[in-house]
Amino acid sequence: MRLGLAVVLLAGPLAAQSVQGRLAGRIPSEAVPTVDSLVQVARREALPTEPLVQKALEGGAKQVPGPRIVAAVQVSLSQLRDARDLLLRAGDRPRPQPGEVTTVAWALRRGLPAPVVERVVAALPQPPRAAAMHAVADLVAHRFDPDSAADLIIAAVQDGLQGERLLDVSTAALHEVQRGHTRGDAIAIVRMQLPAVPVAPRPTRSAVARARRPGPPAPP
Amino acid sequence: MNTIDPRIHQALDGELSPDALPPELQRAIRQVAAAADLLAAPVRGVSVELRVMAEIHRPAPTWARRVARWIVTPHALTFRFRPAWSLAFAAAVAVLTVFAARGGEPQLAEHEGIAQFVGRFPDARSVHVVGSFNDWRAGSIALEDQDHDGVWRATVVLPAGTYEYMFVVDGERWVPDHLADRLVADEFGRENSVVIVRPARR
Repeated sequence: MRLGLAVVLLAGPLAAQSVQGRLAGRIPSEAVPTVDSLVQVARREALPTEPLVQKALEGGAKQVPGPRIVAAVQVSLSQLRDARDLLLRAGDRPRPQPGEVTTVAWALRRGLPAPVVERVVAALPQPPRAAAMHAVADLVAHRFDPDSAADLIIAAVQDGLQGERLLDVSTAALHEVQRGHTRGDAIAIVRMQLPAVPVAPRPTRSAVARARRPGPPAPP
Repeated sequence: MNTIDPRIHQALDGELSPDALPPELQRAIRQVAAAADLLAAPVRGVSVELRVMAEIHRPAPTWARRVARWIVTPHALTFRFRPAWSLAFAAAVAVLTVFAARGGEPQLAEHEGIAQFVGRFPDARSVHVVGSFNDWRAGSIALEDQDHDGVWRATVVLPAGTYEYMFVVDGERWVPDHLADRLVADEFGRENSVVIVRPARR
């Protein structure tokens, strides 16, 4: 019990230190306290904090002035809140998982209408939903009707496809468009193929042989 | 196997007169007797003594000739082995072969995948890819243009997931990946490219 209390008491300050440590020297120093406070707000609201840290680091890498970095982090926090609220509306209770909040925030940033995202969430009660969201968003990004795109992916889920296989569904529809079909026909064709859409090729042996892990960053 | 008529044995042993036998047995007895005479006759030509002495006086073959003769002469080789040791040896060879085949390749964990970054920058001196997979740190993933055709490439092992990224050309110019299907506003007035890394082991 005492150990648990100590962990709870120490976890907050330690996490705050780690965030400040990651930001120090990477973003303008005057922006660090504000960004850190926004991260703490997100943590208290049980929202994912890593997207906020990443947004700040991105701004620092792009040499964006401090106030603009803070503004971008505030926008990201607002997007995460919107995503959490959407998940709650769609039935993710009592508390949406941080990963799912990030996924829905991604989907909204990629231009999916909120009602479509809600439909996909409701159709997939069990997380993770990232692949399904990206599959719908991929189709919408290629000017497919959002509702038709969501219908296709939901039909694929009902036909037993899940995870990354849902990305194969959107890829198959895009291929049908490349073959000259209209978007409506492409969705109809792929829907008839379900669940037997082609599987994305795995990395070749030569690609794996060429691949390398990211090295340490170059000195400034 | 054909058996010899016992009357032939009796005739050869002198117990029976060959004339009392049928003509075909008489012919067989004559053939056997001729064969016996042939074996009993002395070998014509060089005597054993002369042949032994000739072998003694012949100069010893050179080392190279002996080796050559040993190589071309058939030899019977006998292996004695225990099956248990043979199985262990075969397993060791198989393991070494697999490791040799994988030598130099990165070992992908269950939740890792491969991301390939390609960009056309004909006049660039350096190109790096920077994104949420490396905390937006410049310099950790360099693209290469090995054949100097202006097309820069990098193949990278990353944990499976979704990442935003941009190219950094010559250390200062931030450029989105125009070949990427997915783009998203970066809240700084530009667009990031998006890559989804799928697990390589599916």
